[in-house]
Amino acid sequence: MSEKDANPSANETLIGGDLFGRWEQLRGREGTVVGLTAIIVAIFPWLFARAPFVSGFLQGYQSLATLILIWGIFAIGFDLLLGYTGLLSFGHAAFWGGAAYAAGIVAKNVSGDPIVMVLSGTLFAVLLAWGLGFLSLRRGGIYFSILTLAFAQMMYFMAASPLAFLTNGENGLTGVDVGNLFGVIHLEADIPSIGGMLLGTWLYAFVGLFFVGAVAVAYRILNSPYGMVFRAIRENEQRAEFVGLNVWRYKLMAFIISGAFAGLAGSLFTIHGAYVPLQSLFWTESGDIVVMTVLGGAGSMFGPVLGVGLYLYIENIVSTIQVLTIPFTDIVLIQDFGYYWHLLLGIVFVAVVWVVPDGLWGIIGRVRTFVSDRMGGDR
Amino acid sequence: MSILSDIFVILLNGLQQGAIYVLLAVGLSIILGTLKFVNFAHGALYLIGTYAGLFVALNVPLSNGKLYEWGLSSIGLDWGFFAALLLVPLLVFVVGLLMERFVARPFYDRPDTDQILVTFGLAIVVQELFRILFGSNSLPFDQPERILSFGSFAGIPVSGPVALPIVGNFPQWRLWVIGITAVLVALVYLLVEYTDFGLVVRAGTRDAEMVRLLGIKITRPYIVVFGIGAALAGVAGVVGGPLNVVNPTIGTNILVPAFLTVVIGGVGSIAGAVVGGIVFGLTTAALVSLAPAWSQVGLYAIAAIVLLTRPQGLLGDEEVAP
Repeated sequence: MSEKDANPSANETLIGGDLFGRWEQLRGREGTVVGLTAIIVAIFPWLFARAPFVSGFLQGYQSLATLILIWGIFAIGFDLLLGYTGLLSFGHAAFWGGAAYAAGIVAKNVSGDPIVMVLSGTLFAVLLAWGLGFLSLRRGGIYFSILTLAFAQMMYFMAASPLAFLTNGENGLTGVDVGNLFGVIHLEADIPSIGGMLLGTWLYAFVGLFFVGAVAVAYRILNSPYGMVFRAIRENEQRAEFVGLNVWRYKLMAFIISGAFAGLAGSLFTIHGAYVPLQSLFWTESGDIVVMTVLGGAGSMFGPVLGVGLYLYIENIVSTIQVLTIPFTDIVLIQDFGYYWHLLLGIVFVAVVWVVPDGLWGIIGRVRTFVSDRMGGDR
Repeated sequence: MSILSDIFVILLNGLQQGAIYVLLAVGLSIILGTLKFVNFAHGALYLIGTYAGLFVALNVPLSNGKLYEWGLSSIGLDWGFFAALLLVPLLVFVVGLLMERFVARPFYDRPDTDQILVTFGLAIVVQELFRILFGSNSLPFDQPERILSFGSFAGIPVSGPVALPIVGNFPQWRLWVIGITAVLVALVYLLVEYTDFGLVVRAGTRDAEMVRLLGIKITRPYIVVFGIGAALAGVAGVVGGPLNVVNPTIGTNILVPAFLTVVIGGVGSIAGAVVGGIVFGLTTAALVSLAPAWSQVGLYAIAAIVLLTRPQGLLGDEEVAP
C-alpha cells in the first residue's frame, strides 16, 4: 500500500493495524486529500444552509457558500506565494479585479458562456501577473510588497477614470449577462433530486468543481520538486541561488501561478454576482485576502480556506448580530456588536500575527499533536 | 503671460502637494533606513495627527460620532492653529515612542513580512477606532484663519488669498504648508547630518552590530528616531488636514503614495525623500490641470519608470538598500 514510504516505523504501525497509524499514512496522499475535499465541498452547502438544526444555528445561505469557495480559490493561490514562497504581495486585487473585469467585458461584448468567461479572465490575470511580476520582483522583501501595492492601485485608478469607457468607471460593470453552461444549464437553477439537496444550485457545483481542481493542482505543485524549490526560496533565497537554481524564474512563476488562481476566482466572482464593483480592484481587497490567509494560517494547504470561511462568515452573518450575549442566556457581552466587528477582527489579526504566525490552522495542528501524543503513547 | 502664470500655479500647487508627501516620506524613510522596520501604520499616525489637529485647532462643530454624543461638540483653544502645530506633533511623538517600544521592538528580529502584517493590522485597528469614535462621514476641517492669536492680539492671518507676482492670487495657506515643511525637513536634516545623535543614527544604519560593539547604547537613538518620524507624520496630518477631506480612511489612502515616495527617492536618504515628494507633487499637479483623468495614474507610472531604470531609487545607495 505504501511501498515507497521510507519511514520504517510508520510502516510498522501500518502492519500492526493501528487505526491511527493508518490514518496518518492515508492523509498525506494526494488521492485522499482531493477526495476528502470533494466530499466536504459536496456536503458543505447542505450543512451550511439546509441541514436541520445545524444550519438553523449557523444561519448560512447558499450564495454565501458559493462565495466562500470562490474566495477559497483566491486564498489557496495567494498562499502559494505568501506561505510557500515567502513573498507578501499587497497587489493581488489587480488579478482578482482585473480578471473579474476581463470576464465581465468578454461576457458583454463577445460571449456570455461561463467557460469562455473563466478562460478569458484567467488568461488576462496570467498575462497581467507576468508583466507586474516582472516589474515588482526586481526588488525583494518590503519593496516587493510596496510595488505590488502600487501597481494594483494603478490598475484601480485606470479602471476608475481613463478606461471608464470599458469599465463603466465608478459605477462598476453592470448588466453582465451570464449565459447558460454548455448552452443548456442555467447556473442559477437548482440541481434536481439528491444533487439539489446537497449542492443546491448548478453555480455552486460549477464553482465547486473548480475549487476541487484548484486544491488538486496546488497540492500537486507543492508536493513536486518544483514546489520544493518555492519552499527553499522561502527559507533562504541566497542559498537556493548558490545551489544553482534560477531563483528569479521560480519566483516569477510562483507569482504567475498565484495570479492565475486569483484570476480564476475573480472570473467566478463575476459569474456569481453578474456585476463587477470598482471596489474589486481597490487595495483593501488585497488587504482582505492577506488578512484571511494569515488568520487561517499561511503555509498550510487548508488554513487559508478556513480563514476565508471565518472572515466571510463574520462579515456577512456575525456582523448582523446587534447584541452579543453569552449563549443560551440573556447576559449582554457587547452592545451593537455588528458595529464593532471590523475592529474586533483587526485586534484578532494583530494577535494572530504576534502570537501564532501559523494562524488558526497552526493552533488546530498543535491541538492535534497534543491529543495524539496523549492517545498514541510514545509516538 | 497667462501660460507663464499657469506654469507657476502648477509649480506652487505641486510643491504644496509634494510637501505632504515629503513630511510623510522623511519620517518613513528614517524609520525604514535606521531601524529596518516597515511601518505600514504610518498612515495611521497621519490620521491621528489630522484628527488631533482638528480638535485642538478649531472650534469645530461636530454633528455626528461618539464625541458628539459625549457632549464634546467643540474643543477650541484661543491659540488656534499654532497650539495644534505644537501639541499634535508632541502627542504623535509620544505615540511613536510607544509604538517603537511595544510594537516595533518585539518585531525587529522577525521577518519583514511579519512587520508589515502587524503594522497593517494596527492600521486597521486605528482606522476602525476612529470610525467608531467620530463616524465615517467626512468632517469639515476649515483652513486656519490666523496663528498665534491670543487674547486681544490678533495674530498673523494665514488664510485667504495672497497676491504674488506673475501668479496673481494664490491661497496663502498653501504657502505656509510649503514653508513649514521646508523648515522641519531642514531641522531633521541638520539633526541627522551634523549632531552626535545623527552620527550614531547613521552609523546604526550602516551596521547596528558594530555600533553596539563600540559600547554605544543604540536603543535610545532608535526610539527617538521612531518618535521623530511619527511626529513628522503628525505635522503632515495637521497641515494637510485642511487641504483634503477628513475621514477615517485618509490614513490608509495616503500610505501608498508615501511609501512610493520613499522607494522612488531611495530608502534612508532624506534628500531622496524630498526629491521623490516634489517629483510626485509636481506630477500630480501638472496632470490635474492638463489631463485630470490620468492624474492618479501618473504617480504610479513614474514610479514604474524610475524603478525600471534605477531600482535603488533616485538618490538611493545601492549598498544600503537591499
